Amino acid sequence: MNLKYKSGGYFAVVLFVAIFMGSLSASAQVPADSTSKDSTVADSALLKQIEAQMQAAPAAQPTGTQTRSSLSFNPDIGVIGDFQGSYISKGEKNFDMYLNETEVSLQAAVDPYARADFFLSFGRDPVTGKYGVEVEEGYVTTLSLPAKLQLKAGKFREAVGRINPTHPHALPFIDLPNAYVNLFGEEGLNDEGVSLSWLTPNKAFYQELVFQTTAGYTESPAFVRSEGNHLVYLGHLKNFFTLTDNATLELGLTGISGPNDSARTTNVGSFDLTYKYKPVQMNTYHSLTWQSEFYYSHNNQTEDHSVDAIGLYSFIQYQLAKRTFLTGRYDYGEKPYNNSIKEQAYSLTFGWYATEFSKMEVEAKTTEDNIEPRFYQAWLRWIFVIGAHGAHQY
Amino acid sequence: MAHTERININFLPGDRQRNISILKFENKTHMKRISIFTAIAFFVFQHAVAGTIKVVTTLTDLKSITELIGGNKVAVTSIATGYQNPHFVDPKPSYIINLSGADLFVTIGLDLETGWSPQLLASSRNTKIQKGAPGYVDASENMALLQVPTAANRAEGDIHIYGNPHYWLDPLNGKVIARNIANGLERVDPADKAIFEANLATFNKTIDDKMKDWQAKMAPFKGSKIIAYHNEWVYFEKRFGLEIVDFMEPKPGIPPTPSQLVKVINEIKSNNIKVIISSPYFSTSSSDVVAKQTGVKVVTMATSTGAFPTVKTYFDVFDYDIAQITAALK
Repeated sequence: MNLKYKSGGYFAVVLFVAIFMGSLSASAQVPADSTSKDSTVADSALLKQIEAQMQAAPAAQPTGTQTRSSLSFNPDIGVIGDFQGSYISKGEKNFDMYLNETEVSLQAAVDPYARADFFLSFGRDPVTGKYGVEVEEGYVTTLSLPAKLQLKAGKFREAVGRINPTHPHALPFIDLPNAYVNLFGEEGLNDEGVSLSWLTPNKAFYQELVFQTTAGYTESPAFVRSEGNHLVYLGHLKNFFTLTDNATLELGLTGISGPNDSARTTNVGSFDLTYKYKPVQMNTYHSLTWQSEFYYSHNNQTEDHSVDAIGLYSFIQYQLAKRTFLTGRYDYGEKPYNNSIKEQAYSLTFGWYATEFSKMEVEAKTTEDNIEPRFYQAWLRWIFVIGAHGAHQY
Repeated sequence: MAHTERININFLPGDRQRNISILKFENKTHMKRISIFTAIAFFVFQHAVAGTIKVVTTLTDLKSITELIGGNKVAVTSIATGYQNPHFVDPKPSYIINLSGADLFVTIGLDLETGWSPQLLASSRNTKIQKGAPGYVDASENMALLQVPTAANRAEGDIHIYGNPHYWLDPLNGKVIARNIANGLERVDPADKAIFEANLATFNKTIDDKMKDWQAKMAPFKGSKIIAYHNEWVYFEKRFGLEIVDFMEPKPGIPPTPSQLVKVINEIKSNNIKVIISSPYFSTSSSDVVAKQTGVKVVTMATSTGAFPTVKTYFDVFDYDIAQITAALK
């Protein structure tokens, strides 16, 4: 029965090949005209190549080959749930719990020239408690530009240092650093526009230069959408050094210029430094990451008044065992519109990463500033993923 | 020396034109020599560049086989080392430098490298090596796969939806890998097809010759029951007639739990199992606990070329592993 089926299969293949070869020879037998000599030569060369390839093919067919199934053109689909519980020592309502975000990712190649990535976020409005949907990211990226260039267009998290391009669920802490939120808000600098990146020909270490132009995001404290034609411009230089097989260093420089809520320009400069120790052999058991970012913003408010503000964070993440991580972070931030407001915070996060597809974290944080008394916060977060799960940046 | 002095004089105003002609005259022979030398150097350089196919492989076994098939026509680098977990390679941007200039990319495929290689490929800006391009070699093409699941369910742990991807641990599958690599090399360098085919024939013969030796060494232990740390030995197990009774991991990718250790200890005692096989990138602490309880031997096998300093080629993987396991089973 099996043999019969197999011979039927072979017969179908032979028939298909015969029809294919027939159609080839038929096309080769198109009546010749005065210019067909070259094309006949080319055709016979092509036929020879096809014949050669077909001769080579049977050798590549071992017995017992299994066919692959469930192929489709559907994009890779993943859903990430982010459930949180929170505590704050000030105010009326101290405890809360909520499905912070549900992120749906859809990712696939568009054609041989580009790929597309969509991240739809179903989030809860902290004030109304109602859920709404927004396009967190949606962009097309080229795969085939010359000169080591890559173009991206759509809505995307911009190339500011290390925190901003990372989706919050992939960060090793639950809240975002104060300095970062002061400048870019809880949602980060996530804007609509185009991005051109160039992989420099530097062979000694990885170096990438990124230029981005965006329309201006309405919810960022540093930048707003201009009423006129003022766009946000960003440049980022990423330098990545392999120190040893087990240790790497990344150094990034970012400059951003864009319209602010005074209808003038705010300029932001930032610097990021990341050291990672991951022993290659036991990289799933032990690792250490030390990551810091420094921000400087120059906010022009009137013709003769501007505000200079700085901010920074620095964290160390230490992997205690295969599935447990401890992260300590220090924050310092000034408000970009009023540098007399200064904040300082310390936080500690313990993470249990059950698998690649789920992790639980608990974070405690204390914040002091020069306006209100010290207060305390705590969070509990459970991240869980179903479906496809794209790789994170290193 | 005279050449340098003339150049300096050249910059004096007024005398400029005259000095250039003196320079040209005095250095005519010199220039001729330089141009011949430059032409030769350029030719040699061009030839060297044109003659070398730059290959990036995901694993070291693919590097070893590519070097054996490509000979002096290839310059190969591997992203992963031979002693790291191939599922969890960190996608460091530095790997992109080699990928951006590569002529050929060779991957184990299926979904072994899914957590890191697609991201690196997409960032490489190299159209020659993207999936579907002539420079993309999926070494699993035409591979007879084992453990192809009938349903994909992550409740089963880290299962691979296309089948178990550790197929290179059967030396006969090495021949299929080598065929796929040869096909790739011939696509990007058709002129050297004869060389690749000859090297492929030599590779296949070496595998066949060594197989006799490996089979003979393993023959006395046919049917031996063993425990493995992770489900990555099924191809080796089937080829050499071993029987893996259970795994230290309760489910693929889930670290050993106390209840799993108790289960394994009982299985070792009731089946008189002598060996637990593990890999260089797994902690041996739980296996050591079981060893202490039962007297079983824990053997760290080479999962890839370069796993240990003596494992220099794809053939050495089997020489090493068979020596280790036969010694432990005696």
